[in-house]
Amino acid sequence: MKVMPLKTRHQATLAWWVVCILLAVLFLLPLYLMVTQAFKSPAEAAAIPPTLWPHSWSLDSFRRMGGEVASINISQHILNSLYVSLATVGAVVLVSTLGGYSFARLNFPGKGVWFFGLLVTFMIPFQAIITPLYLVMRALHLQNSLVGLALVYITYQLPFGLYLMRNAFGTIPREIPEAALLDGCSTLSSLTRVMLPIALPGVVTTALFAFFAAWNDFFAALILVTDQDRMTLPVTLSILQSGQFGTIDWGVLQAGVVVSAIPCVLLFLVLQRYYVSGLLSGALK
Amino acid sequence: MGALEDITDKVNALKYKSGLSRSHMRLATYKGRIYALPFTAEASVLFYNVTLFRRAGLDPKRPPRTWEDVEDYARKIRALGGDYYGYVFAGASAGYNAFTFMPYIWASGGDVLNSKGVPTFDSPVITQALTFYRRMWEADLIPKLAQTDQGTNSGPAFASGKIGIYPSGAFFIPTLSSAKNFEWDVTPIPGKTGGYASFAGGDEIAIPKASKHKAEAWEFIQWATGEEAQTVLARKGIVPIRTDLYKSIYEPLNPKYKALAQAMLEGRTPYSTVYNALFNDNNGPWIKMIQDAVFRGDIQGAQRAAQQRAMAITAGS
Amino acid sequence: MAPAREVATRERIGSQSVSSSWRWRRSVEGILYVLPATVLIGLFFFIPLGMTFWMSLYDWPILGARRFTGLANYGRALGDPNFLHAVYFTCVYTLVITPILIVVGFALAMLVKGHRRGVGLFRTLYFLPVPIGFASASYLWVWLVQPDAGPLGRILQLLGLVQQPPQWLAGTTSALAVVIAMVTWKTSGMQMILLMSGMHSIPTELEEAARVDGASGRQVFWLVTLPLLRPTLALVLVFSVAGSLLAFDQFYIITGGGPSNSTITAVYWIYHTAFINFQLGYAAALSILLMVVLALVSFVQLRLIHRSVEL
Repeated sequence: MKVMPLKTRHQATLAWWVVCILLAVLFLLPLYLMVTQAFKSPAEAAAIPPTLWPHSWSLDSFRRMGGEVASINISQHILNSLYVSLATVGAVVLVSTLGGYSFARLNFPGKGVWFFGLLVTFMIPFQAIITPLYLVMRALHLQNSLVGLALVYITYQLPFGLYLMRNAFGTIPREIPEAALLDGCSTLSSLTRVMLPIALPGVVTTALFAFFAAWNDFFAALILVTDQDRMTLPVTLSILQSGQFGTIDWGVLQAGVVVSAIPCVLLFLVLQRYYVSGLLSGALK
Repeated sequence: MGALEDITDKVNALKYKSGLSRSHMRLATYKGRIYALPFTAEASVLFYNVTLFRRAGLDPKRPPRTWEDVEDYARKIRALGGDYYGYVFAGASAGYNAFTFMPYIWASGGDVLNSKGVPTFDSPVITQALTFYRRMWEADLIPKLAQTDQGTNSGPAFASGKIGIYPSGAFFIPTLSSAKNFEWDVTPIPGKTGGYASFAGGDEIAIPKASKHKAEAWEFIQWATGEEAQTVLARKGIVPIRTDLYKSIYEPLNPKYKALAQAMLEGRTPYSTVYNALFNDNNGPWIKMIQDAVFRGDIQGAQRAAQQRAMAITAGS
Repeated sequence: MAPAREVATRERIGSQSVSSSWRWRRSVEGILYVLPATVLIGLFFFIPLGMTFWMSLYDWPILGARRFTGLANYGRALGDPNFLHAVYFTCVYTLVITPILIVVGFALAMLVKGHRRGVGLFRTLYFLPVPIGFASASYLWVWLVQPDAGPLGRILQLLGLVQQPPQWLAGTTSALAVVIAMVTWKTSGMQMILLMSGMHSIPTELEEAARVDGASGRQVFWLVTLPLLRPTLALVLVFSVAGSLLAFDQFYIITGGGPSNSTITAVYWIYHTAFINFQLGYAAALSILLMVVLALVSFVQLRLIHRSVEL
C-alpha cells in the first residue's frame, strides 16, 4: 500500500472533513428550519419574508394545535395515531413471533410453501389493492374506523415481521429449545421463557418497523378514515395544509411536522442498531 | 336521497318561507320535495382597495361595473409600479374559482351547466371570461403567486394592501379587519357589459331520516332560521339566509354588507350530483381548464379537454 | 435464503424416536401458531387481490349498482389520456430519480465507509431523514419552497443567487425538481448504508492484490470494486425503482398533482379514480395494469441482476 506523505494525508483529511460538514449542513438544514419554525411565536412564524433565526421562542404553535386553528384539535389526532401505531406494534409482534417461531422450529405439512405464500405480500404493494380493500373494510363494518386501519397496517407488516422472527429463531442452536422440551416445557413456554429472550433483538426490530409503518402512513389513512375526529396525524396535517379559503398557519403546520417526525428520529437514534440491521436483512431477502 | 327527512309540509307552513335564500332552497329541493333549509350563507363579491384606487386616480365611488372596468382599473393600479398588482385570485383552487369565477360567466348570460345539468364548458361566454383573465395575466397585472395558490396566499396578498381587486366572500372580512393600513370596499362581481352575479354558498341544515329526535330537530331548525339566530350569525360576519331580513338585521351592521346582501339576493349555485368531481376537485376539469387557459394560453384546447372530461364525469362513466 | 431442511419422517430429540401422534400434535400446534398471520393476510391481502381482478370487469360506482362490462375498462384505460399521462410521468420520474439516488448514495458511501474519526457521526447525520415519514417530509418541504413564506427562497435571495424567491411549484420541471430534491434528501442515507455494507463485504485483500499487481486507484475501482458491488447496486436499484413507481404522498402533498395535473403519478390517478370520481371498477382495472407494469419491471431487473452476477 502506498504511503502518502504526512502533509498530503493531513490535507486529504481536512478536505474530507470540509466536505462531510458541508453535506451535514445540507442534510440538517431542513430539520433545523422545521424546528425553528415550530418554536417561533405565531406572529413571527407568519412573517413574510421569513426569518431564518427565530427572534422569539414560544410554544404557542404547539398550543394552538389544541384547537384554535381551523377548529381542529390536533392533540386528538396525535392520540389517534398513537393508538393505531401501538396497536399495530403489539399485534405484529405477537403474530409474527408465533408465526416466525412455528416456521423456524415447528413442523407441519406444506410449511415451506405456506411460508412462501405468506411472503408473496412483499411482491404486491397495498396501493395496488386499496380499491377492493376499501370494500372489504366496508363489508366488515370497519370502514372509517381506527381498528380497521390498524388491521391493514398489521397485515402489511406481517410478512416482514414473520421473516425477521423466523430468522431470529432460526439462528438459535437446536440444543436450547430441545433442552427446554426435555425439561418438560410445553411449546408455548419454551417459546416465551427460553427462545424469546434470545430472539429479543428480532422482536425489537419488528416492533420498530411496525411502528414506523403505522405512524408514518398517509395513503391508507387518507382513504380508509374519513371522519375528521378519527383521522391520524398525517391526514390531519393535510387539512391544515390545504387551509380552504384562509391562511395557512405555517407555524402550526411545522409544529405538527415536528410532532410527527421527531419521535421517528429519536426512536431511530436510540435503536439505531436494530433499525439498520432490519434494513439490511430486508435487503438480503 | 333516502338519507334525509322530507320536511316539505313543515317548511310550507313557515311564515317566512319566501324570505329564505332562493338558491339554497333550490339545492334543498329534489323532485318537488324539500329536504333541508338554508343555515348560513356565503356570497362572492369583489373586494377592492380604496386607498390604491385613489392613488391610481380612480374614483372609489365608481367600482368596476364591466370586465373592461376591471382590466382598466387593474392596469392603472399596476402602473403604480413595484409590487403593486391590479388583480389577484387563487389559481390552483377549484372551489375558489367556482365561487369567484363562475359569477363572471353568469352575469354575462352564460353558465357552466345547462338546465339539464349537462356541462357547457366549451361555451362562448366561458371563452370570453377565460380570455379576460388571460389578458390580465399576460399583461402582468396579476402576481405570480396566483398560479400555484390554493386559496391561502391571495387573501393575505390583498390584505397586505398591495393588490387592487380580489374576489372573495364575507368570510374574508375578519381577516381584512385586522389589516388596518388601507381602506377597502366591496362591489358585486360584474358581467361583461354590466349586470352582476354571485355564487351562493354556505350551509344547509337537515334532519337525517334515522333521527330519533325529529321534533326537537325541527324546533332547532326553525330557531336557526329565525330572526334571533340569524342576527347572531350576522354579527359574526356570516351572511344570513333570511333575505327578507337583510334590511333590518344585516345591512345596518356595516355599510359594506349592503353589497353582500345584494349579491346574496342574486346568488346562484350549480345544481349537479357530480358537483364535487367537477368543480371542487383540485385535479378536476374545471380548475384544469382555468389553469391551462389563463396560465398557459391555450384557451380553446383547455375548454375542449375540460368539456370532454366533464361530460365523462357527468355520464357517470 | 432457503429454510433449513427438516427431517420430515422421524424426529429425534436426544436419542429417542417419537410417536406419530406426538408429531401430529406438533403439526397442529405449528399450524395454530401461523393461523393468526394466515387469517389476517388471507382476509386483507389475498381476498382484496382476487377482488381486484373481479372488480376490474365491472362498471362499479361507489354507491349504486354495478354492471358487468367485461374487458371494457381495460380498453378504456389504454385510451385514457389522463391515465396514460400518469403512467408516462411516473416512468419519467423513476428514470430521472433512480440514477440520482444511486449516485448520491454511492458518493455518500464512499465518504463514510472508512474508519476515520467522526465517520460514525456523519453516517448518522446523513441517515437522519430516513425514518421520517414521506408525508411528514413532504409537509416540511412544501413549506420550504413556498415563494413568500418559505425559507429556501429567502436563503437563495440572501445569498444573492436570485432576485425574488422562485415559484418552484408553478412549473412542471421545477415542481418535479423539488420532489426529487426532497426524496433524495430523505432516502440517500438509506442507499448510503446499503452500498456501504456492500463495500464492507468486499474483502480488502482483493483490492490490495489488484494494487500490488500494479493497478491504479481508478482501475481498482472500475475493475474490482464496482463489479463486486453489482449485487448490492442491483438491490438498491430494485428498491428505489419499486418505490418510485408507487410514489404518491410527495406528489399529493407538495404539488397536488399540479401545475395543471402535470405531476400526477399512476397511484395518484388510481386514488383519484376510485375515491374522487367514485369509479371502483375502472380503478381496479388501472390497479391491475399497474401491477403488470411493476411485475414486468421487476422481471427485467432480476434478469439484469442474474446476468451481471454471472459475469
